[in-house]
Amino acid sequence: MITYNDQQNLFHIISTNLKKNIRCFAFGGTAMIFYGYKDETKDVDFLFEHEEERAEFTRVLEKLGFRESSPFKVYIPEKLRDPHRPKMYSSETARFDLFVKKIFHTLLSPRMSEDVYAIHEFKDVHTLKVHVLRKEHLVILKSVTERERDFEDIRTIVEKEKNFDWQYLVDEVLWQYQNGDTWVLLDTIKMLHELRKYVFVEQKYLKQLTDKLSTKPKAATRKNR
Amino acid sequence: MRNKDEILWKLEGLHTIETAMKTLSMKRQSTLNLLSKLKKEQYVTTSGGGKRKRLYKITMRKQRPRDPGMFDIINKYSPHMKLAEWYDHQVHGVYGPEEALIDAIETQSFRVILASLHLFRHIKDWKKLYKLANERDCWNKVGALYDVARLVLDKIQQKVLRPIKAGKVYLIKNYPTKEDFIRPIERKWNVAISFRRGDFDWGIHS
Repeated sequence: MITYNDQQNLFHIISTNLKKNIRCFAFGGTAMIFYGYKDETKDVDFLFEHEEERAEFTRVLEKLGFRESSPFKVYIPEKLRDPHRPKMYSSETARFDLFVKKIFHTLLSPRMSEDVYAIHEFKDVHTLKVHVLRKEHLVILKSVTERERDFEDIRTIVEKEKNFDWQYLVDEVLWQYQNGDTWVLLDTIKMLHELRKYVFVEQKYLKQLTDKLSTKPKAATRKNR
Repeated sequence: MRNKDEILWKLEGLHTIETAMKTLSMKRQSTLNLLSKLKKEQYVTTSGGGKRKRLYKITMRKQRPRDPGMFDIINKYSPHMKLAEWYDHQVHGVYGPEEALIDAIETQSFRVILASLHLFRHIKDWKKLYKLANERDCWNKVGALYDVARLVLDKIQQKVLRPIKAGKVYLIKNYPTKEDFIRPIERKWNVAISFRRGDFDWGIHS
């Protein structure tokens, strides 16, 4: 498990070993720690825009003693067949799930990259710039990744946020669907059905998603997948 | 302690000890003890005290210790114009007015750039500023802003800055000005500046 302080120290050490500036997007447990939703996480989830950035990041991880590990025990088989599955690096204490361009079928949307919750820059000669995604994006991505404890994390976020913007979440899911991600719609609907057992979510949000299920996504092309 | 989440849910926001007592229907000492425990767990931060009333900021999420970022630096040095940050920017490492000025230019935000003019009073390392600006390809914008700052603010160190040969750029994309008093600076740096005279009501001395 990694705590907030471990995470800060680890990112700082990584930044001191970088040979170029890197920008990445944090979601999952890492982002939840930055937010203050929880104190520790099993894994660090990062999304990179370019393969070269991930390659540089993994070079540093290997230098620090991390080894590439298998995602088979972590993700369900259906997800593992996806070409955009993560590269995973582990040590005794921490695990990194590193995605490029997409988190399975889910794209880094313009809203995701521009409307972030926080930017943490770990500076040395080069900079590791960590953009922390908004809470609504965290919930969507946790619905998509479907790992052990992901649903509990979603509950934690929603229960702790008085101002959770459900319309923002629905709009983002619909954007993803229009841009070729059919999984996100199904996964979010499934998550919302489950979540309604614990917290109040207005029916109108679920309805917007279920109504969309009957229409085909406009841009669902092979290229997008 | 009652269920912590329930207490935090009720208390979330800004409180004095009296409002917290009323919300929780508890005695003064019990409320103080509770707030002290929550503070140790990072759910509460305090401000004020002494002659001022002590204020408790209570959140459902833990309030992590912060390192200063661009908004903190600009707000620290800008006396008249404070910025409400729309994202939390923190830099873990060396970060001063030089870095904040370059970041401010890169935001392309009118308010941020306007407030950042005050940073020129606190630039110590001009070589560093030149290096950072060159890395991000915005030296001419820095120079143009410096001349604007000299025009509208007092107590700015006098420096001779020279433009780099480059095509015309906008300080803020597609957002030029029609003000004559800024034209000479625009021509010198080949940068379209987005400010009007009225924007400097707080500082203009020319």
